[in-house]
Amino acid sequence: MRLLLIEDDLQAAEYLVKGLRESGYSVEHSPDGRDGLDKAGRGPYDVIIADRQLPYLDGLSVITALRERSDRTPVLILSALGTVDDRVHGLKAGGDDYLTKPFAFAELLARIEALNRRGAAASETTRLKIADLELDLLARRVTRAARNIELTTKEFQLLEYLVRHAGQTVTRTMLLEGVWNLHFDPQTNITDVHMSRLRNAIDKGFPKPLIHTVRGAGYVLKE
Amino acid sequence: MTAPPRMRLSSSRLAALFVVIFAAAITLVLTAVYVLTARVLDREVDSVIRSEVTHLIDDYTSGGLLQLVATLRRRADSWDRNGAVYLLIEPTGYPIAGNLAHWPYDFDTYGNWIEFEIDATEAGGVVSHPVRAQVFLLPGGRRLLVGTDILERHKLASRLRTAMFWGAGSSVLLATVFGLTYSRRIRRRVRAFASTCESIMGGDLSRRLPVEKSHDEFDELGTAVNRMLETIELQTDMLRTTFDSAAHDLRGPLYRARVRIEESLQHEGLSEDARGTMEATLAELERVQRTLGTLLQIAQAEGRGRDVPTEPVDLAALARELVELYRPEAATRDITLEYGGAEIATTRGNSQLLAQVLVNLIENAIKYVSPAGRIDVSVAVEPDTIVLQVADNGPGIPAADRQRILQPFVRLERDREQVGSGLGLSLVAAVVRLHRGSIELLDNDPGLIVRCRLPKESG
Repeated sequence: MRLLLIEDDLQAAEYLVKGLRESGYSVEHSPDGRDGLDKAGRGPYDVIIADRQLPYLDGLSVITALRERSDRTPVLILSALGTVDDRVHGLKAGGDDYLTKPFAFAELLARIEALNRRGAAASETTRLKIADLELDLLARRVTRAARNIELTTKEFQLLEYLVRHAGQTVTRTMLLEGVWNLHFDPQTNITDVHMSRLRNAIDKGFPKPLIHTVRGAGYVLKE
Repeated sequence: MTAPPRMRLSSSRLAALFVVIFAAAITLVLTAVYVLTARVLDREVDSVIRSEVTHLIDDYTSGGLLQLVATLRRRADSWDRNGAVYLLIEPTGYPIAGNLAHWPYDFDTYGNWIEFEIDATEAGGVVSHPVRAQVFLLPGGRRLLVGTDILERHKLASRLRTAMFWGAGSSVLLATVFGLTYSRRIRRRVRAFASTCESIMGGDLSRRLPVEKSHDEFDELGTAVNRMLETIELQTDMLRTTFDSAAHDLRGPLYRARVRIEESLQHEGLSEDARGTMEATLAELERVQRTLGTLLQIAQAEGRGRDVPTEPVDLAALARELVELYRPEAATRDITLEYGGAEIATTRGNSQLLAQVLVNLIENAIKYVSPAGRIDVSVAVEPDTIVLQVADNGPGIPAADRQRILQPFVRLERDREQVGSGLGLSLVAAVVRLHRGSIELLDNDPGLIVRCRLPKESG
């Protein structure tokens, strides 16, 4: 999988490139907006990670230019601003996800993974299935090993999010954004309680757990 | 939002008071002028009659009745010339000389001033003329009347009265018109000042009071206040820029420190000790980052409110959703968290910032309420406002500290042990102010009520 990182903070970029390569990605680095847009044109890349404030051409302009030439490569915006309107502007310009600096490296990895898989996962299905767990999206019904499982609306949404991102690490921040539409981090790890309730409902009494904790990052649903 | 108190129109009342005082003064002055003028005219008439009387008495004394009658006959036509009236009668009432047809018996008091009316035939018909006169008893029972026609004087007095009436009336009318115009002008300018101040308080520091170049006191005041606003804006801008760049400059090193520690944590063969220290450091960095982020958010809400995107937000739905989100967390500490109130309550604002308000208030309540406590979140719809309230039965906040606690980094002495930055409530207050709302901390006896009033979305 090929990534393009457009970041002018060279020291940070060096760490990120190293970290991403160690995680198995092939990474190109570009130090400014003009060069970044140039490199993106000579792609293709699976995901582009662009800083918001860049020399010569800022991150949002890079995205706008990409979209103008019908380049649909998913873009993850990194920004030190982190204000409400900043995120809105970033997504309006055509960015696909937004991450406020400083962030945990695990958060970045999870976001890249999610962006890369997004195209495939967004298909119009009414049934989701992983291992012996089945979700009927229309009837809002969950069964595991043909046994009916009662869930609240929110628990169902949470499970749906996990199933749609099956095999990927999902961070707490991603859950708050994706399930509760909260784009800020509360003080308490409020998602943990909901996750443990869901685990009780899904995994309790079954030999093989589906929901796993990823230390220092979040959760993953897998066989 | 609370309705502004009914304006007490002090300028109108001042104008009305001015008109009343002015009317009283002008009436007093004109009355005095009238009374004095009338008295002067009366004296003049009286002195003319008196000198006439002296003259006639002299005639009588020196030449007897014959002389008097001769003089009277000579002057008989004087009525036409100067309005003088004479009459000399026998004790029987038979007229001897003079230009009066008969004696006015009604006023038969000797030595006194009398006034009566005589009818004279003139070009336009019979006209009644007022006469002022003095009567004397002569030896032998004859009586003498000397008087003068005072019609002109009466006319003058009446004209004076009319002139004074219209003069006073038009002056009062003019004063009223000027007073009203002036008070309206003052009111208009005060309102212009007030509405500008309102929007400046709403965060638009670039606004200035309107100055009209008429160089009056209002312009003087406006210019002075504008100079002050200029300075405040400059200082605020400087502070904000400094703060923003400081915050952003801090994020760079924080970011690098974080990446560096995370990278080191990847290495195999780290001692458990080293790993623990690094993870603790990472957690500390996260706290610094969180504080910095909150400060930036407060700064944004306080200063750059105009740029924040807004939309209609159903606070009731938002509150219900967030209560659902936090209920399991509260339940782990045996705290009851409930929502009660309106089904729908739409305000206009930024949904993320309003969600942050609720999250901060709920998290605060959970943090301070003791186990088995209770937290009630409610939203009520009032005619112009949406009232959002979070009430708990925790330790509450002493009345003296309730205003102070809304400021950044202010924490109560007793909470020193608690984890937290002292920014949660400041952010709540800043967001509520950004939405042109108000915040109140009240006593729940025991516990704390945080009540936020937000403007209702119209239409």
